[in-house]
Amino acid sequence: MAVGISGYGVYIPRLRIKKEDYAKAWGSFSASGVAEKSVMGFDEDVLTAGAKVARRALESVPLGPEKVSRFAFASTTAPYLEKLLSGTILVSVGIPNTVLTSDHTTSTRAGTEAMLAAFEHVMGSPSGKAVVAVADAPKASMWSPVEHPLGAGAAAFVLSGDNLIAELEGHASYASEYFGERFKPRDDSLIHDLNVKKFAEGALISNTTKAGSALLKKLNRKPEEYQHVVIQQPDARAPGTVAARLKFTDAQLESSLVSKDLGDLGAASVPVALASALDSAKVGDRIMVISYGSGAGSDALSFKVVGDRRPADKVKMETDRKEYIDYVKYLKIKGAIV
Amino acid sequence: MAHVSVPMYWRTIPQRYQMVGYKCKKCGAVNFPPKGVCKYCQSSSDFEEMHLSGRGKVHTFVLISAGGAPPEFAEQEKAGGQYPVAIVELEEGPKVIGQMAETDPKTVKIGMPVKTELRKIYTEEDVIRYGFKFVPA
Repeated sequence: MAVGISGYGVYIPRLRIKKEDYAKAWGSFSASGVAEKSVMGFDEDVLTAGAKVARRALESVPLGPEKVSRFAFASTTAPYLEKLLSGTILVSVGIPNTVLTSDHTTSTRAGTEAMLAAFEHVMGSPSGKAVVAVADAPKASMWSPVEHPLGAGAAAFVLSGDNLIAELEGHASYASEYFGERFKPRDDSLIHDLNVKKFAEGALISNTTKAGSALLKKLNRKPEEYQHVVIQQPDARAPGTVAARLKFTDAQLESSLVSKDLGDLGAASVPVALASALDSAKVGDRIMVISYGSGAGSDALSFKVVGDRRPADKVKMETDRKEYIDYVKYLKIKGAIV
Repeated sequence: MAHVSVPMYWRTIPQRYQMVGYKCKKCGAVNFPPKGVCKYCQSSSDFEEMHLSGRGKVHTFVLISAGGAPPEFAEQEKAGGQYPVAIVELEEGPKVIGQMAETDPKTVKIGMPVKTELRKIYTEEDVIRYGFKFVPA
């Protein structure tokens, strides 16, 4: 049975800060290719953003929340370290209390991890309807250059076996052991990074290219058979590096390169970028998706576009709707002044 | 000391997260939040639960500035500046009070269309209290 994406929704918080404001405050801006980034408001978090995109994704089908049979939530920036997260969104959106929910939180790969967990549900139950909501706004110390690229965004997908926009053709994963790049020690809510750049880049390239090439081999595909390639965007340069290793071109990345205007969206990076590729994809196009999470692992998913129904709120519209703040306001909103 | 205890806040989740209203079976008016006896006909306590659209129009509003915010909202005012609080007349009839988000305080007007969405209201005892705010529709 064919399964895939039946609807999706995105949300980008409207606040933006420009790289020039960082340069003024710190003398430099450590996020390659990022011109500005999105910032959540004081009264928002990944659960309020997750509720918003879950609702938008259901409206795009349209599908009533009472029809949902599986719910998965993903973020690296949960407001609680212990407490169910999916329940907040489930109750707000009106998804039945009786569905299996799951929270995926420990790396930026969590977004695709949640999608694959939800796909397993719809593959196993032909009339199943799964909602996957991914929202993130990663946090690090303002003293660390690791903080510079961190943005905010959210995307949700309705996965099922009918009314498809994009059919899942196959997937592959790769997990391995790395450490020292992007981690949170047990008792800290901020990202640490030992900033060994070549080592971290090696981990990213190794895991993503192994997942990506395994999927190409499994499907017996050549890189040029894809019109869109979506790769994890810790900044706006990394996806190009990974793409080149897999013999993909910059042109194939173009429809999904959201990080130059939004920054690093963490677990929501690939989901928002996939929504951006879907916004402009034509029926018959193929989309390769490759996520990455430190520590380290990668998921690759291949989609074929089969429908031209699109949601009302496109990634481009959400990106263009913005209000600039300066660095002092940014510090206040982030709660960085104590 | 919490302004609203956790169990008391929890009991209001149908209103704060889902806009559940109560339609009087005698006079048909919608009560929000729930009342023991219908606020409108004052002669029935028989209600039917219904999900309100969350859509409505600003009936009147006030802007809360520095020093004017209740303690649980003081930090929000300091970080984000002045914020509007509105009484909104919902499509289904009831008038409801709530903060407005995503709105430049200078642009709020009586009659402007709004809808609800989930936001953080405030945090107390390390517990985040979520609930609806109004945003431009």
